[in-house]
Parts: sequence; C-alpha cells; structure tokens
Amino acid sequence: MIKRHYSGAQRRALNIIWNAAGRYDFETPFMAFYPNGKPDFYFNMVIGLVDKWLDLPKISDFFYSYSRGSKTDEYDALLWLGLENCVYEKELPTRPILSQLRRRRAEDFFKVQQSLSRQQMMLQSMLVYNEQQARWALVTGRKMPLLSAREKKMEEALRFPGSLDTEQVIESMQAFLLEFFHFRTGEKETNVRQLRKGSLADKVLRKVLHHETRQLDVLLVRTGTGHGDREGSVRLLHNQRELHNSADAAEDLAYIRACFGPCIYNEADMRVLENDLCKEDDAYCRLWITKAGDMPSAASSGGAQQHRTLSQQARVNSSDNRSAKDVAKDIARQREKNIEYYRRNGMLIAGSVRRLSAQLDTIFASYAQPLPVKARAGRLNSEKAYRLAVMDDPYVFERPGDEVEHDLSVDILLDASASRLNSQEVIASQAYVIAKSLEKCHVPVQVSAFRSLRGYTVLQLLKQYKDVRCEGIFGYYAAGWNRDGLALKTAAAQMYQNSAVTSSGKKILLILTDASPNDSTRMPAKEGSFFEREYEGEEAVRNTAEAVKSMRSLGIRTAAIYLGPNTNLENLHLIYGKEYVRIQKIEQLANGVSELLQMILREIRN
Amino acid sequence: MDDAILTFLSEEGIDSQLIEGVKAFRKKHNADEELQTRIPSPELFYYGKDVWKKALAALLAGENLLLAGPKATGKNVLAENLCAVFARPLWNVSFHINADAAYLIGTDTFNGEKVVFRPGPVYLCAVNGGFGVLDEINMAKNEALAVLHSTLDFRHVIDVPGYDKIVVRPETRFIGTMNYGYAGTRELNEALTSRFAVLDMPLISDEDLTKLLKRRFPSMRDQICGQFVRLFYELANKAQNSEISDRALDLRGLLDAIGLIDKGLTSGDALDMCITNKTFDAYERSLIHDVISARVPDSLTKGDVFAQ
Repeated sequence: MIKRHYSGAQRRALNIIWNAAGRYDFETPFMAFYPNGKPDFYFNMVIGLVDKWLDLPKISDFFYSYSRGSKTDEYDALLWLGLENCVYEKELPTRPILSQLRRRRAEDFFKVQQSLSRQQMMLQSMLVYNEQQARWALVTGRKMPLLSAREKKMEEALRFPGSLDTEQVIESMQAFLLEFFHFRTGEKETNVRQLRKGSLADKVLRKVLHHETRQLDVLLVRTGTGHGDREGSVRLLHNQRELHNSADAAEDLAYIRACFGPCIYNEADMRVLENDLCKEDDAYCRLWITKAGDMPSAASSGGAQQHRTLSQQARVNSSDNRSAKDVAKDIARQREKNIEYYRRNGMLIAGSVRRLSAQLDTIFASYAQPLPVKARAGRLNSEKAYRLAVMDDPYVFERPGDEVEHDLSVDILLDASASRLNSQEVIASQAYVIAKSLEKCHVPVQVSAFRSLRGYTVLQLLKQYKDVRCEGIFGYYAAGWNRDGLALKTAAAQMYQNSAVTSSGKKILLILTDASPNDSTRMPAKEGSFFEREYEGEEAVRNTAEAVKSMRSLGIRTAAIYLGPNTNLENLHLIYGKEYVRIQKIEQLANGVSELLQMILREIRN
Repeated sequence: MDDAILTFLSEEGIDSQLIEGVKAFRKKHNADEELQTRIPSPELFYYGKDVWKKALAALLAGENLLLAGPKATGKNVLAENLCAVFARPLWNVSFHINADAAYLIGTDTFNGEKVVFRPGPVYLCAVNGGFGVLDEINMAKNEALAVLHSTLDFRHVIDVPGYDKIVVRPETRFIGTMNYGYAGTRELNEALTSRFAVLDMPLISDEDLTKLLKRRFPSMRDQICGQFVRLFYELANKAQNSEISDRALDLRGLLDAIGLIDKGLTSGDALDMCITNKTFDAYERSLIHDVISARVPDSLTKGDVFAQ
C-alpha cells in the first residue's frame, strides 16, 4: 500500500531518519537531499540522531524562530554542521560505522563540488561553502582551505561537543548567530544581504538541506491538495441553500450532461430505472449514469453558446454553483493531476499492486473450494471403484486439486462528494491499486464514483467488469453532495445489469464512505405532514441503512470502508452494522479493502 | 546430544524442578528404537528463560501447546527444541490452505490387492506417542481442524470412519505454531483454541540474541556482534511500522549471512543474499539496504568479523 503521501525519494529519506531515531511515530521537519534529488544518507541519519539524542521539537522550534529571515538557508546549513558534530560524537561509541559514513559524506561533498559549474559555484554562499569545506576537509584529512580569522573562529564554534544537551545546544546555536551575525532569534533581521528567491544558489541550498515547512490544516480547497483529509477538515453545510426548482429541470439536465458526459442508457431505459429507484424518500431525485471515458473535455463540453447560457444560469446551491465549463475544465485538470500523481509514484504503486494482489490471491485461495482431481490415494470415489478390479486403474481416489473457481465479483463504490476534495489523487491511485490487484487475481471488479448535484445522483462507472485496463479510474473527481442510499441502490442495479458472475455467484460491494449522507435535494413530506425533510442527519442515515438492508436481502454483501471523524461512528454502526473497517488515512484504502474482503469471505464460508 | 540441551537449560537458569520433571518423563516414556531417528538434535537453541519455563510446565502437565507470535520469534526452533528436551519422535505437519482431514489423519489407497488405510502424520504421532508440530496451524480451514478435537481434548482418541478407533498414547503432545500476521491466515475457532495452552512468543531479547550469536559463532568480535544485534532490531522496528514487509526480518537469514562471511564472502554480499534479496521489490530493497548501511559496512571480511 502507499503508506504516506511522500514521493519515493522523500519516503526513503524519512525511513533513514526514522531508522536512526529508532522510532517511526513522528513527522520530521527536515529532510536532506543531494542536488540531484537523491536522499543524503548521512545527513538524514544526522537528523534522525538529533531526534534520538536531543529534543527534536525544541530544536525545530528554534529553527522555526528565524525561518522568515532572508538568511534562513545559510543559518540552517551552518547550524546543522554544529548539530552534526554534536550527534556524531554522541552516537559514535554505539555505532562505529558512523565514522565511515561521515568520511563518505565528506568525499561526496568534494565530488559534488567538482561537478558544479563556475556559475553554480559563484551562486553558492561562500561562507557556507568554506565552512563545509573546512569540516569535510578535516574529516577526510585533506588540506584545510584558506579561511579568514572570522571563518576560522566559526569553524571552531561549529564543533558542538557531544556532551551538550538540548538546552545547551540551543544556547550554542543562539550564541553562534549572535556572535557571527549579530542576530538574536525572535528579532527582525537587519543585516539583509538578499539571496535571490528562486536563484540557483537558493535552489541548490534548499535541495542540499531541504527545510520542510510545517503543514497547516487544509480547509476546503477547490482544486484539492492531494495531501489527504484531516479529521473534519472538510464539511458540507446546508447554509444558504436554494430550493431546487423543477422549472430548471431542462437546464439541470444540460448542466449534468455538460459536466459528466452523456448517460450510458437511453431515455426510456433511464425512465424505467428511475421509476424503480427514485421513489419514496428519493422521489424528487434523478439519476445519471455515465462512463469515465465519456467525460467531456474542457474544450468540447457542449459548445460555447451552451456554456454561456449555463454559466449564467447555473446557480443552485453552495456546492454546485459553478459553470459547466469550469467544472469540465476542473474534471480534465483533475484527471491530469491523478495521472501525474500516478506517474510520479509509479514505482510505489506498482509495488503496492504486487503486494496487494499477492495478499488477495492468498485470501481468495483460502476461501475458494478446490476442485477435486483424480489420484492414487485420497477419498475413494465409490462410483469409479469398479475400475480398480475391471481396468486395473488405481486412479479411483480423489484429492483436492489446484484448480479453484472464483464465482465472485467485487464492486467498489467511491464517495466522490466534495468532502473528498483534498484526497482525489490518492483515492484515484488507491482505487487503481485495488482494481489492478483484483484483476490480477482474475476477480471481476467494477469501480464507480458517486455524487449528487442539482438533484441528480451521478454514478460514474470508472471501470466496468469487462474493462481490462484500469486507467479509467483516473477520471475520479470529487464534487457536490452524497446521497448514499440512492447511490447504493443504483450501484446494485448496475451490478445486476453488468453481472460478471453466475446468478448464484457472490457479489460484494464495498463503499468508501464518511457515513454522513447529505444532499441538497429534499425528501418528500411524510404521510400526515406538510413539511418536506432535509436529506441530512438521522433521516439520511435511516434512508441509507434501509438501502443497505435491501441490498443485503438481494444477496449483495455490502460493507463499508470508513474514513471520517469520530462523530459519525454512530451513523456507521446504524448503517452497516458490523460490516465495516475504519481507516485513518486514505492511503490505507487498499489495506482496508483487503481486510474487509477477508472478513466477508470468512463469513461466507462459515 | 540429549544431555547437551538439558545442560543448556540448566545454564539458562531453568528451575531444577522442571528439569527433574523432564528427566522423569524421559525415563517413563522411552522412545522405541526405530523411532530414535525422528528425535531431533537441534543446531539452534531457543533463548528465553520465561518462555522455556512456561512451555516445559505446560507439556509436563499434559497440555498441548500453541505458540503464537509474529515472524522471527523462534516458534519452530522452540517446538523442535521441546521435542529434543523430552526426547520424543517428531512429526511435522505443515498446514496449508488445502489441508484437510485426510491429509492429517490418513487416506485410502490401493495396495495392489485391496483398498487400505494409509496413516497420516497425526495418526502416526498418536500411536507412537510422539510430538506433533502443527506448523502454521491457522493456515488451514477450521473444518479441516475439527477432526483434531477428539485427539487434542480429554478423549484422546482418533476415530477413522471405516477403520478402528485408536487411543492416543498418553505421552503424545501437539505443538501448534501460528503467525497472525500472514495474509491468508485466519483466527482459530474457540473449540480448537480451548484445547491448547497458548504461549505468546515475544521477539528475542537483546541479551538472548547476543548469546545466540556468540554460541553459534564463538569467535565473533563483540563489537561486530552488537552491530548485528542492533541491525536485527532496526529491521524488526521497520517491519513493525509497516515500512517494509517482514520478509527481511529473518533471524535465520542473519545467522546464515554471518555463516557466509565466515566462509569468505564480504558482509555486503552475505547480507544481500540472506536478507536484502529476500524481498523482490526494488524500492523495499533500497530501504532495507539503507538500514544495513547504517549499521554494518559492506566490505567487512572474515578477519574483521571473527577474531583469529
């Protein structure tokens, strides 16, 4: 599984840091890379060792205290030289290899310097360069560079001894900045020798000693950050809702078509389907079922005239008041982002597919009934026993064979409401990992995404059973509300429509949900009441629970992968009973699927 | 051979009362001559005083034992060691997803004249009073294990339909091993679990791992030995945090690697062969390689690792 939202090189750097620190439960504020993007093994170890021997949060607070100054990178580079010496002396007795690693890092420094062009050299901070050169020359036993008296003093000051504790290290760092730069942390910098932002030197220094800024909580970001949800970071509210007016029906239809592409069924078929599903609580709703490949491109989503009209009129509620043109553009952009994310993490994703498919293969093999084969020993097949005496055929026994048959199909239903905005790329690649892994195990899989917009519940078939390729999943796009009950019923209808297994086969539907059904289209008034009801809170939960119940009665094993805040746990129990797994991060989606499938198959067998 | 393991137990500080109990058991239940070859003579000894005490007490009390724990906790080493301690013939049954009752108890076959029963390992273990090691017991389906219920509980019988009912000899013990981390494993049902005394196997301690390495490689230098011990825990830590799979967490692999250095390979090559290359994912290999590089130089030779 893709464990975290780091690129391969970053994750490797993190692993080096965690390993040196001896713990894996913290996010480091620093990571070190060479200019070519490769993790700097030794300096990442140093960062980990700072956590091991010193109080890393206090140290990073200190670094943070001057992070807005123009000389941040220069100070960082120098102070890390001090820290390096300190933790090196502390760790060396228990890790003798450290001296060898340090020497190798020193040699690397000189190699990298040789490969830099004259211009690159000129853009470097000469002070940092001289100090680093002095440090690494000392380590390798080379001739010391020519240093000014001030630089010599700095070089000596940066040899923080291994006997210092955190407070003393911070005092040393403060004293260093004060003595050599007249800079007191917390004060505004006065001596400004601006390093041009974005200049080569700036970039090289940033790469060599990459300073990760602290992550801030992400709130509803339209384009998505790809950095995942924090608990409760995105909420859908019913504020300033405008009532859905049936007079706008034609516009709504055009809008939905322009945004999500044509419906895969003709009007008559859709009417039958809607008559079947859009009743009772969902009586005001419409359905739209589309394929990922049929998404309109940003340039051709219905013609300019239509867009103008739509953009002028498309104002329904707070979450879906954007023009179809914009939405289509966003969808295309998001698709590119999803693909880009996939390309960037190609190696991790391929590894994830390999691991998950091996895991699923074992799970399916465990629960599949092996077909019997003829054998010389085993369970006697009485019908063939005569062959022993008559034909001298010893193969009248049966033993379990290697062949198994999966009479099983899996449907993954992804919540594509706006609450998933921050995780679109990760959800797309996780769903890709799941679909690809199931395909590898020869289990038919269908992946759909659902959201509700302007009274339409749009089910987008990202990958159908018959599709060999899974790339359609990159069409995942989050927007609008989520009417879980109707989406589940529609997905069930699709399962039967495109059935990939025999009628007696097992059908499993897994839904990624936050157990918070919420839609702008109201439910009709109950008998004896004049008031229509909002599709939210208890009513929406009850509606979804009924949908799940009806699906289970149809023989579809329905289970949930829950990613959401603690506050919705009660809803989760009410809707799905015991059949769910909770994941803490969207990166664990594939793990959740594997766990859930195992749970379901165990129950089927028992 | 037998006395070596008893001496080892004494050295480990196991209560003399337990050791006396083992000796009495041995005296009372002497294995038949033709089964002597089935009594294992282990190369590796299990280190862990507490676990030894619990395991010996359970087996002396007539319990069957279930060793549960993650990879590299020495479950199989302990199971084999226990057979050697009690000097009982060993039948090893490797469970897999298709293991069924016939695989355990026996199958029908044709001997040229008639259909006869060909006994399986559990049957043979029961009639000969051996120790049956049920390896990865939770890989099998619960219905396949149901045939063991009467064998494992107070009834001590095996009833083979169409053949005789046989009584399990009183010195018979079954030792199950299970790893609850592997994919495809399942939870044992209550009926089966209740027929075992369950021993939760911890990861080998720092001190015991050092002892194990020093016993296997007496001339190994102390400082290097310490680095290999730390390397094992760092890999364990990484696997526990799911940054790598537990393929690389392989104590046997570590011992093999040191063995290869002893035969003349450099530490880099030996560790690659016995640890790093056990995972087939290039990215995971790079993470494992980083852990190794932070502990053991890849150019160590026999002379660096072992004192002359």
